[in-house]
Amino acid sequence: MTAKLRFFARFRELLGTDILVPVREGVTISDLVRSAVSGNEGGYAAIFDENGNFREFVILMRNGKRIERQDTKNTPVQDGDEIAIFPPVAGG
Amino acid sequence: MLSARELDRYKRQILLFGEEGQERLKRSRIFIAGAGGLGCPISIYLAVAGVGMITIADQDTVEQTNLNRQVLHSDSDIGKKKTVSAVEKLRKINPDITVKGIDRTIDKTNVQRLVGSADGIVDALDNFPTRYLLNRAAIRKGIPLFHGAIRGLYGQATTIIPGMTPCMACLFPKAPPAEVFPVVGVTPGIIGMIQATEVIKYLVRDGRLLTGRLLIWDGLEAHAEEITVERNPACPVCGRPENRKNKGKDV
Repeated sequence: MTAKLRFFARFRELLGTDILVPVREGVTISDLVRSAVSGNEGGYAAIFDENGNFREFVILMRNGKRIERQDTKNTPVQDGDEIAIFPPVAGG
Repeated sequence: MLSARELDRYKRQILLFGEEGQERLKRSRIFIAGAGGLGCPISIYLAVAGVGMITIADQDTVEQTNLNRQVLHSDSDIGKKKTVSAVEKLRKINPDITVKGIDRTIDKTNVQRLVGSADGIVDALDNFPTRYLLNRAAIRKGIPLFHGAIRGLYGQATTIIPGMTPCMACLFPKAPPAEVFPVVGVTPGIIGMIQATEVIKYLVRDGRLLTGRLLIWDGLEAHAEEITVERNPACPVCGRPENRKNKGKDV
């Protein structure tokens, strides 16, 4: 089983555009993303806070549908899922 | 009624929208929050398209560091209020429209009044706290809000129609951290053009608006994509009062 993580904007600069990751049965979205980016210090710190939670402003989508931060901790990843991770930008 | 000069000036777009569409543009009032990277190109193109009344609000003064992207201002404007510089240029660009500058910081005490009874509000701001104020005013008054934001070579845009689409607080419940953001002028140019196109489409009632969709532009990849976005029923700003989970003091 695999899932695709897609990064946008600044996250893309730190982690690349897409990562294809193996999915363990029952792994949650939060755990999957955390383990996939844990080897990249800058990328990890951009996405996760010091407690290992998604930073509050991070927008997550699963197969094109928004998923709330709190739900990523109990939503299992399915084979073929596409998880998009997006930092909104603020400048003008 | 369009004058002979206006018929001539807008001849090529009357081919697109008809005289009726052009009349709609002429009768419209658009409020642009910000005369910076986004506000400059947006106001220029809305002015040349013939939007009858453009109000542009900004409290800043033109600085040298603005000039790589804020295309209404030039070296000789350094030290001038941005609204003065912008109004001066926009009136030259199209003397057949009315342009008004508001040299004020948008805050919660004045946002409703400043927005007034505009037909559309353009978010050309550079920070989320003020965006949230503008969003509340738009939702309260039922005025469409055309959102855009940029950083570096990245940008995002969406069109918010109160009561129909997600609002700013549904989309971005928490603001990204404040920073001195890197930017090259082409990015607000691109995102600003998407916003201005949305305003024109909305006013002339043409095309499919960027509603319920967040467009994400990646200039490094030369790639745009969109994500579908939905209303949050518990949104503290646009959700039904009985569903709201909190008062949303942040948004």
